[in-house]
Amino acid sequence: MFDKFKEWYENRHDYAQAWKKQTGGKVLGYFCTYVPEELLIAADILPLRILGSHEAQDVTEPHIFGMFCPFCRDCLAQGLKGRFDYLNGIMISQSCLHIRQTYNSWVKHIPQEFSYYMYMPHGVQTPHAYPYLRGELEVFKKALEKWIGRSISDKDIDRGIEVMNKNRQLMKQVYEFRKQDNPPLTGLEAMYMVVSSQMVEKEEHNQALEAVLKELPNRKLDRNTGTRLMIIGSEDDDTEFVEMVESLDSTLVVDEHCTGTRYFWNEVEPQKDRLAAIAARYIDRPPCPSKDWPERKRFPHILQLAKDYNVEGALVIQQKFCDPHELDMPALRQMLEENGIPTYFLEFDVTVPIGQFKTRVEAFLETFALPDLF
Amino acid sequence: MTKKEFWRWPEYRHTVEGIDPKNGKVISGGVDIGSVSSKTVIMVDGEVFAQSVMRTGSSSPDSAERTMNWALEDTGLTLKDVQYVVGTGYGRVNIPFAQKAITEIACHGRGANFMWGPTVRTVLDMGGQDCKAIRVDEKGKVQNFLMNDKCAAGTGRGMEVFADLLSVPIQEVGDRSFAVKEEPQSVSSTCVVFAKSEAVGLLRSGWSKDEVLAAYCQAMAHRVVDLLNRVGVEKEFVITGGIAKNIGIVKRVEKELRIRALKPDQWRDDPRFDPMLAGAAGAALFAKVLYERSKG
Repeated sequence: MFDKFKEWYENRHDYAQAWKKQTGGKVLGYFCTYVPEELLIAADILPLRILGSHEAQDVTEPHIFGMFCPFCRDCLAQGLKGRFDYLNGIMISQSCLHIRQTYNSWVKHIPQEFSYYMYMPHGVQTPHAYPYLRGELEVFKKALEKWIGRSISDKDIDRGIEVMNKNRQLMKQVYEFRKQDNPPLTGLEAMYMVVSSQMVEKEEHNQALEAVLKELPNRKLDRNTGTRLMIIGSEDDDTEFVEMVESLDSTLVVDEHCTGTRYFWNEVEPQKDRLAAIAARYIDRPPCPSKDWPERKRFPHILQLAKDYNVEGALVIQQKFCDPHELDMPALRQMLEENGIPTYFLEFDVTVPIGQFKTRVEAFLETFALPDLF
Repeated sequence: MTKKEFWRWPEYRHTVEGIDPKNGKVISGGVDIGSVSSKTVIMVDGEVFAQSVMRTGSSSPDSAERTMNWALEDTGLTLKDVQYVVGTGYGRVNIPFAQKAITEIACHGRGANFMWGPTVRTVLDMGGQDCKAIRVDEKGKVQNFLMNDKCAAGTGRGMEVFADLLSVPIQEVGDRSFAVKEEPQSVSSTCVVFAKSEAVGLLRSGWSKDEVLAAYCQAMAHRVVDLLNRVGVEKEFVITGGIAKNIGIVKRVEKELRIRALKPDQWRDDPRFDPMLAGAAGAALFAKVLYERSKG
């Protein structure tokens, strides 16, 4: 029943090109989940998150610094290899330095009909962030209107908000099932679900989610749940890794990734000023660590997730050289361990050494499962 | 003329005298298929009875069979008599006759506890292709661990490459690395390939082989001390794996850590304490408990 999500994830380019042909609409590739998809949907544009392909490549060397993360490198490689040539435009919402380099290099090397850098504030904890972002959304809306050649009405924005909120609600409902003692879905299936929502038309994704929600109450998996794990960290769509972890008598029951809960956890709370409502949603969302300062507001949220999902241990991962996550990790691991949740750290690259990682994850899991052998 | 293989460490088998397996209640086996060496320990009621160490071949199942059969040779036992076998090491899932696979991290923790006693808290396992710093409790249960996995620095295979490069038999590397007037500067790179190029340069500029060995041992020790410091070193401290038999590394690690390793030489008098066999011993101990549990 989750096959559709996997199919979308694996054939994202085919999907987007077919969508374009069928609707005659524009497809916009975006970096970072701070991009306000509500406005893109209001403009009848298909937002498509640009992710890597987890293959070795040799095309980005002159364009990205050596100590920038493998994820931003992998994303740029997709552009330089022409895999996103069908895009009508690209945009980024200001986030970490590394992915900004990907955006800038992409704009420089791959001609675009439309490109946009949205000044999403880093200082989301100041009250000034709300009016600031509202203003930026206004500017962005105008740029979009100019590009598509029509104005975007309040009704259009309401539709954008509604479909995005519905998508968030439905995915949250699916996540509720992961709280069960024996969750009827795996972490891998949940990953396919969330990542594919960043790639396909939201209405269609919502229909698939509704179908899943009908069947989930009666679904039983033919596998042991094993140790209940949480996975926390940078962008992560490494399905091979997740599959390996779940082959070792464990289940990933919840995550804290921008390819997971950080993407969809909170909704736009409607208010008359639509742009202010959207701005508030992005300012108040579970933050990326690049924006989570001076107070680390993400930590209590992570702990709450761990408790709600009855997590026994946490895998803390980061893309190599991901400074915002790396800076958070010592404090994050300490916080979890003080709350009785052992952690294990792994550093990801474009491809991961799956055999070595298997030994490490297995040894971590043995610290839960082996006590009666001593 | 065939080239002498200086990297080749001695393969051996050993039976402990004075143990009659017929009088034992549980005969358990631990098989550790590492990237470089394959080891078997056969235990009778939790005491080492027979063991073997040999080179790992290209096939894990074959290596497992060969090391097990060799350990059983002349003991009067056959594989059928071994009631439970636990496999460990990187080839652990490819051991046809093992009933269970457990990681080498858990097995080295347990094995170190068996060989050196319950005071062991930190285990440095220096294997053929990776290094692990393991913190254990008084039962030998893993509390925390770190593993290097990105290069061959600090690994047995790296040392083998150096023995071959310098035409020094690998068992002599440790002693010869101290046959220098003063400790030279360490090689700047622990990457095996770069360190090899650097060593060739040093030899050309007049360094003796012993000096180059000292410089490499020092770099390797420094590298693993970094790993140990990240996991935190608590007494008592022991080194397992093949490199634990290289005094050139052991002493330099001790010096840098300012902690002495517990009885690093006991294997010389008693092969039951061969640090290369810590993983297989841990596996055999787990096998004993698993067998007992399976019988209720």
